[in-house]
Amino acid sequence: MNLGVNMSSSFFPTIKRIIKLGLTNFWRNRWLTLGATLLMTLTLTMISVSILMTYLLRDTAALINSKIDLTIYFRDDTVVDNSITALMTRIQGLPDVTSARFVDKAAALAIWDRLPINENIKKPVTATNNTLPRSIEISTNSPDSIQSVVDKIGATDTDKIICTECVSYSKNKDTVNRLISITKFVQRAGLVLSMFFGLIAIFNVMNIIRITITARSDEIEIMRYVGASNAFVRGPFIVEGILYGLFGTIFTTLFLLAIGYGSSYYAGTSSGALSFLQMINLDIFQYVLAHLFDLVLIQLGIGVLLGIVVSSLSIRRFLEA
Amino acid sequence: MLAMMDDVLHIGNETENKVQAEQGKLPEPELKPEKAPEETKLETPKEKHSDSQTPLIDFQHVTKAYARKVAISDVNLRINEGEFVSIVGQSGAGKTTLIKLLTKQEPPTHGSIFVAGRNLADLRAKEVPFYRRKIGVVFQDFKLLPQKTVWENVAFALEVCGFSQDEIERRTTKALELVNLGRRRKNYPEELSGGERQRTAIARALVHSPKILIADEPTGNLDPVNTWEIVELLYRIYQRGTTVILSTHNRQVVDKIKKRVILMKGGKIISDELGGKYVI
Repeated sequence: MNLGVNMSSSFFPTIKRIIKLGLTNFWRNRWLTLGATLLMTLTLTMISVSILMTYLLRDTAALINSKIDLTIYFRDDTVVDNSITALMTRIQGLPDVTSARFVDKAAALAIWDRLPINENIKKPVTATNNTLPRSIEISTNSPDSIQSVVDKIGATDTDKIICTECVSYSKNKDTVNRLISITKFVQRAGLVLSMFFGLIAIFNVMNIIRITITARSDEIEIMRYVGASNAFVRGPFIVEGILYGLFGTIFTTLFLLAIGYGSSYYAGTSSGALSFLQMINLDIFQYVLAHLFDLVLIQLGIGVLLGIVVSSLSIRRFLEA
Repeated sequence: MLAMMDDVLHIGNETENKVQAEQGKLPEPELKPEKAPEETKLETPKEKHSDSQTPLIDFQHVTKAYARKVAISDVNLRINEGEFVSIVGQSGAGKTTLIKLLTKQEPPTHGSIFVAGRNLADLRAKEVPFYRRKIGVVFQDFKLLPQKTVWENVAFALEVCGFSQDEIERRTTKALELVNLGRRRKNYPEELSGGERQRTAIARALVHSPKILIADEPTGNLDPVNTWEIVELLYRIYQRGTTVILSTHNRQVVDKIKKRVILMKGGKIISDELGGKYVI
């Protein structure tokens, strides 16, 4: 009698059987697996919502950032166009500057004409009597870097600039700073909160997978008696773990789409609580749709990984030491 | 893979030959429930006893202690290939512990267990499943999967070991024929009698063509008629050359078999005799 020497067994029929067993078990214990799948859905929904919130904050912050222009106005008497062009080339070379646009007197007049201010104030300024200064509108990569840009320009070219007070940033400094700190706080709080919820959900998924495994300890015992290898005992449970992740992703995606569609519809038809969404010009459904691919990938990754890890951890105590 | 298939096929052919050779010898292959226990005649093949032979199973000063209780203490036991051994004793005498040690479900606290010359303590964790395929185990509570049919329960033992579909078909058919359950192959365990359930479990234990069949109180849940069915079946398996270890507390069963009887009490072997009877 040869003990434990022939360790190899045919690979492909085994893999096929493991997958089949996993699918069968998933269906046969459908109430237990439904529970695990729903918990997985909850986990993935919480993670998805916090990801969406992060996206939303990031996009809002980007929007605000792109609107904060640092504008430099030039005196008509001392500055010629050539030196402005030279300055602009230098500004564009600064590391924190994302774009710089030269606004000449004609363009400034066009903007002036569109301003929602009293016609009597507007009237004196005409094409022939254009007292509006030329300017460079600068966008920076983050509100944080405006001050350094101001410092770099102001240090060398103060004589060409009408007044430092005219830099729009100076007026908005406090508002911008407050906005930055709020954004950062919300982002951090969101991260901590979603980690916290994610952890709770992971524990719940672990528990329910443990319950499904314990409920089948008889089957595992029999598999071991008849000489199933550890890999074979573990296999079907891993397949099930993958299925929790898969179905969790499907449910979560449908759920998010439904919520997105519902809130968009509600915001579009009523002046109710969600009408603020219209004010900030945000269609949640479109937003979810736009990020759907990212979200599904992330859900699938997290769900399947979670299912596999939790299943393997829970099955461990049933296997040979 | 090829080596394994060779091994499997070899064992398979061997079994087949034996079945064919012994089919003539068996007085009544069909087990008839109406046959009274007293009339059962068990045929005895030649005993393979000789002290020079390397024992198939060798317990050397084996002790198993749990937190609160010493289950077996300093047991020495040798079982040769082809023996029919009954282990008897009351509940708690250590019979089940002995079997758990032999199937390497638990390690002994002291001492060594050798099977076919190999120390079980040296088996790596990965080898244990392969070792288990060489021993069949049958339990008092059958341990059948309720949601699988008779056929599926037996075939399952081969599926988990990676046998090919053809091989599973062939071996399962043969095992079910041996236990005379070919007609019940599509039934679920709950549709079977206790005896039929145990026969299914025996077919599952035999489907790997193991060298050793261990039966732990196989008749504990059965009525006398079914009990005799199972005992006769175990005896036929023994006649085919498989070493059978039967743990029981049924006096009638042991007295009828008239084979080697090991009596255990309080975790010790207190008697070991050939053709023995159940005496306390």
